[in-house]
Amino acid sequence: MTDVPPGATAAAPADEDWQRLHPLSPLLRGGVVLLAVLGYAASRVVDRVLPAADGGPSGGAPDEAAVVLEHPLLALAALLLVIAGVATVGWVSWRFSRFRVARGQLELRSGVLYRQHRQVPLERVQAVETTRPLLARLLGLSQVVVQSAGGADSHLTLAYLGAGRAEEVRAHLLDLAGRADERGPGAGAGGGGAPATPSDGAGPARVAGRSRDEGVPVLDVPNGRLFVATLLHPATLVLGLVVLGLLVAAAVTGLGAGVLAGAPALVPVVFGLAVGRVKELLVHGNFALSRTDTALRVRHGLTELRASSVPLHRVQAVEALQPLWWRPFGWWRVRVNVAGVRSDGSDGNDQTTLLPVGTLGDALRVLATLGVRPDDPFVVAALEGDGGEPGWVGPPRAARVLDPWSWRRSGYAVSDTALHLRSGRWSRSAVVVPHARVQSLALEQGPVQARLGLATGRVVSTPGPVSARAAHLRTGDAEAFLALVGARAREARRAVPAAGPRPGGSILPPDPAETVARRGTPLVD
Amino acid sequence: MSVPPVSPSSEPVVVTLRDAGPAWRPVSPALVTVRLVVLAVVLVPLLLVCVGLALLLTPWVWLGAGVLVLVGAWAAWVVRRQVSAISWVELDDEIVIRKGRLFRSLVSVPYGRLQYVDIQSGPLARAFGLASCEIHTASPESGGSLPGLPTAEAEALRTRLAARGEAQRAGL
Repeated sequence: MTDVPPGATAAAPADEDWQRLHPLSPLLRGGVVLLAVLGYAASRVVDRVLPAADGGPSGGAPDEAAVVLEHPLLALAALLLVIAGVATVGWVSWRFSRFRVARGQLELRSGVLYRQHRQVPLERVQAVETTRPLLARLLGLSQVVVQSAGGADSHLTLAYLGAGRAEEVRAHLLDLAGRADERGPGAGAGGGGAPATPSDGAGPARVAGRSRDEGVPVLDVPNGRLFVATLLHPATLVLGLVVLGLLVAAAVTGLGAGVLAGAPALVPVVFGLAVGRVKELLVHGNFALSRTDTALRVRHGLTELRASSVPLHRVQAVEALQPLWWRPFGWWRVRVNVAGVRSDGSDGNDQTTLLPVGTLGDALRVLATLGVRPDDPFVVAALEGDGGEPGWVGPPRAARVLDPWSWRRSGYAVSDTALHLRSGRWSRSAVVVPHARVQSLALEQGPVQARLGLATGRVVSTPGPVSARAAHLRTGDAEAFLALVGARAREARRAVPAAGPRPGGSILPPDPAETVARRGTPLVD
Repeated sequence: MSVPPVSPSSEPVVVTLRDAGPAWRPVSPALVTVRLVVLAVVLVPLLLVCVGLALLLTPWVWLGAGVLVLVGAWAAWVVRRQVSAISWVELDDEIVIRKGRLFRSLVSVPYGRLQYVDIQSGPLARAFGLASCEIHTASPESGGSLPGLPTAEAEALRTRLAARGEAQRAGL
């Protein structure tokens, strides 16, 4: 990973210059195809040679294999020609792919016949992450994905760069984007002294500024725990039942062989159920969370390592949830809504999970990292309370028709800094929405609710996995919810007029008593 | 703030799901006409086909025509009720839109959260001098839409919302 592209040998190349990607990148992009072609050719030859060695007649042997055997030199020449062709195309595409940071824009040019020129304004950059697909990992390469507001189409991928260089570019872009975002000086000034942590031995010397970027480790998730937690899921239960049913059926009916013969019919079902679980493992494996002054760094991925940043000032809502199956272990998951970040996770990219599975202590630590104080009585009650705690407003008894299990527990509470919501008696969920992050508020009332005198209050957040609802409140309570939360949100918006990273690194405004203790620069005006 | 509050009554408006105070402003009744025209465009040709078939083939098709008339009458009643259920109010800090009668909903969008405001009007709505005002925030689901405003009022509302949004702009 020391072979940095020629244009980028300097530690900090001039931004205005066009820079090239790593020379190996076309190989990596086209490499899979090449490997497939080679593998196919090899398999055909082997197929042909092996029966020949056995001396057995191989019926309809394909022609090309015969040609290869008869004219090995010709075949070799053809192969070389193909490789040379691929290499040339790769080289040309590498020559024509360049990127630069200039005039507040990140630009990427690529393509020879079909030129493509994509640019992303730095102030629109929402997140910059590095990912390392398996093949790239073997070669020590990374790709840098720049996400900007506007969905998947507006993403810009620099594929590939040397791993070290990719981290540099990422840090550099984040730095520039952060400054553009803050509209003020001193973006990174407060963080210069943050303790440097040795990274995972990816390389010896680091350029200054990278240590700041790696941040302080918050927690790791052991893969063993993740494995168990992943198995504790309705899908596995169904899977187990299917297998058990099969075995029982085979044993009882005495039709063992017949039932087992029918088993393959269930393969698609089993496969479908298993894929989700395996994907969960792949995405959340090797999970590590660390924090810098203004962002959380998430590293995850069993085969494909991904590192992404969640800027704290973009976190809109936090949810701690505990599926029923995790309750015996006391495990929790923590998810967030982040402005401008997709949450579909379709490509294994999950920036919204801050803790895939962890103990209550882990969950509280993650919440504390976000500035939600774990000793806050509201937080404790939201996580483990069963209803009736002071300060909580929940559905009346009439709501048991609509929600027989959880009506006692669910509800909301308003603290000085945030709105707390909780729901679910078996599978618990606790949501925290800082007052300053409330987008808009809504009330809903269906016909049954209207008859029972109930209404559902909803805090609308940015798109993400967390939904903040206080279901089936008394209509009057729901209207009070609207007024109260609206008023708090109004005050909070006035207190924090513009977006910007809080150097204190909290999604909540600092406690007056605590402000002195916080490190970092004062709030940017 | 340069923009004066609009609510006609001076006392603070209590935002509720049901009560119709003087502050709540209805949308133009012409919206009923517009929606009825749309309904008619769908139903009348079907009705004509039914009538034609009934006259030419078999009188049994009159049954279908009758059902269509009933459906039309019911839909017209629903449209009337729906439009009359839309009301909105501009408060000091937010705009509140209420909709629906069977399924009631209320959305309250703070001016500071506005990203942009769209004015839309199709040819039919334009013929009746109506436009709809779409309010967008950073969340795609949180915006409110306010159909059936007189065009001038929609434009004025957009200007006011833009001014207030600028004055109370809050970051994400």
